[in-house]
Amino acid sequence: MSGPVPPARGRGGTVNRWAIAVVAVLTLALPPLLPERHLATFVLLLLAATVTVGVSLLMGYAGQVSLGQASFYAIGAYAAALPAVHGVPSLLGLALAPVAAAVAAVLLGAPLLRLRGHHLAFATLAVQLILLSLLAQADWAGGAIGLQGIPRLTVLGVELRDLGYAYAAWLVLAAALLIARNIVDSRPGRALRAAATSETAAAASGVAIGRHRLAVFTLSAAMAGLAGGVYAFYLGYLSPGSFPVLLSIEFVVMAVVGGLGTIAGPVVGATVIILLVQVLNTLGTQPGMPDYAPSVLSYAVYAVLLIVCVLYLPRGLVPALRRTGRRPS
Amino acid sequence: MTVELTVDKVSRAFGGVYAVRDVSLTVPAGELRAVIGPNGAGKSTLFALIGGQLAADTGTVALDGIRVERRPAHRRGIGVVFQTARVFHGMTAFENVMVGAHAVTRAGFLAAALRLPRHHRDERRIREKALTCLDRVGLADWADRPAEELPLGQQRSLQLARALCGEPRLLLLDEPASGLRAAEREHLATLITRLRTEGLTILLVEHDVAFVMRLADRITVLDLGRVIADGTPAEVRANPEVRTAYLGPETVRPSEPHPGVEGVAG
Ligand SMILES: Nc1ncnc2c1ncn2[C@@H]1O[C@H](COP(=O)(O)OP(=O)(O)OP(=O)(O)O)[C@@H](O)[C@H]1O
Ligand SMILES: [Mg+2]
Repeated sequence: MSGPVPPARGRGGTVNRWAIAVVAVLTLALPPLLPERHLATFVLLLLAATVTVGVSLLMGYAGQVSLGQASFYAIGAYAAALPAVHGVPSLLGLALAPVAAAVAAVLLGAPLLRLRGHHLAFATLAVQLILLSLLAQADWAGGAIGLQGIPRLTVLGVELRDLGYAYAAWLVLAAALLIARNIVDSRPGRALRAAATSETAAAASGVAIGRHRLAVFTLSAAMAGLAGGVYAFYLGYLSPGSFPVLLSIEFVVMAVVGGLGTIAGPVVGATVIILLVQVLNTLGTQPGMPDYAPSVLSYAVYAVLLIVCVLYLPRGLVPALRRTGRRPS
Repeated sequence: MTVELTVDKVSRAFGGVYAVRDVSLTVPAGELRAVIGPNGAGKSTLFALIGGQLAADTGTVALDGIRVERRPAHRRGIGVVFQTARVFHGMTAFENVMVGAHAVTRAGFLAAALRLPRHHRDERRIREKALTCLDRVGLADWADRPAEELPLGQQRSLQLARALCGEPRLLLLDEPASGLRAAEREHLATLITRLRTEGLTILLVEHDVAFVMRLADRITVLDLGRVIADGTPAEVRANPEVRTAYLGPETVRPSEPHPGVEGVAG
């Protein structure tokens, strides 16, 4: 043996730590300063970023695409809301959210992840469509009209108000980011990254690839489920219409735009997309615009963003920014 | 931790053409067996059948008498250096070797996500092992370089370090020396000899005949998917059939450079 054991990933440790601290302080200080309308955007942004952390793990590290991640968001939301509507403590409902989504992911993923390529993408998309039509039929879940009268989240006897949800969402996102970072730099994380470039060599190294992919798929679903749980209590109302396929695509676009295979990517991607959608919604709802303008505009923008990304920023915003930042030195 | 390998009447065809046909061989525990033969003889295919990268059409593969031909590759405990270097891109050389330790560690997602003690314990062990293995193949200085930036010869050595890190019972080396310079080949030869002395069972494919003759306990010669000879280096060298099929009258194939000089990628 020669010299000390080197760190697995030694790049920019202290700089990163400072950047994270600054962003954390700023985002914690922000909510009380935001007007109510923007506070809602802030909460939804953090929740979307949480889902995207899972999508990014799945796509960037496991090489799999889910086009139905909003279904896990929905499963989490309903799993949290339904018991709460029937008098179960809301915090228990919230704890159920990631569990329900994870169980759904295991049931769905176990047969699928053996298959290669885009099977998971198609299957998850199909599952979402099925889930949406089932939810629309399910009277016990409010049916197409939706589930109303969801109580607010109560933590230690305190009922959360708007600001409370901002901090709850912040915590949920922070937890997701921390878990993602911990996974990436660990035995199972390296195994996943290895399998993404050579399944043959990873298997020869002893990696049970299917099991690992199922685990990360399940983890990504749990993150979506937890975010969905917060979402349910925050809005106080759920309907199948809250979880369109467009939302699943939005998560994928956020992950790709932010940069797959980076920890900060999902946050940057979600921020860029949410702000853009805000602008578009403002545009699309101008007097004289047709009803369908907002959704057509968002689809168009996702398409354009994806194409631009693939052409000019194939690795996403975060790696591109990092490179630009390094150039002058 | 070393095993006897028994391959019995294994065949594998691609589109009706046999790449490996009725191959049987027994490699006693701790032996260094070379497998030689012309290009397309089926050497790499045979390795893939043993390692589990390919399924055999017929025949059995056993380690210490336990049949493994239906076991997935990740459960065979066989270390592999692939002919076409398969390193993990986007990961450093060090991380590549760390993946090799997967088979001998246990920390899973939960331990990693919550940074449980088991994660830290395993991580420490993985790092130490990986560093030792990287050092053994002479790549310690490359530890923090992205694996795909290493020269091809070094990528092969990286595969060897990765394989060793998993404490394999059997090692399959498919042209590990190609792309290495003379001095690096010497280092590799010494390492392979030492691994053999440590008791590992090793199968080696190599076109450099001098390299093979020097290292191997026994040699199996393949041609057109079949075993055409099997014996000590001296026996194989003297075998007329082997001379026509592979070695040629000068003991070296005309297309090969002189042994000990630059290797060529297969
Ligand atoms: N995946 C495959 N699909 C079709 N044919 C294949 C495949 N793999 C190998 N073959 C064929 O099987 C035969 C044996 O190939 P193999 O790679 O095992 O030979 P080899 O002895 O390793 O040759 P080399 O010395 O060139 O590495 C060749 O004719 C090859 O074309
Ligand atoms: Mg070969």
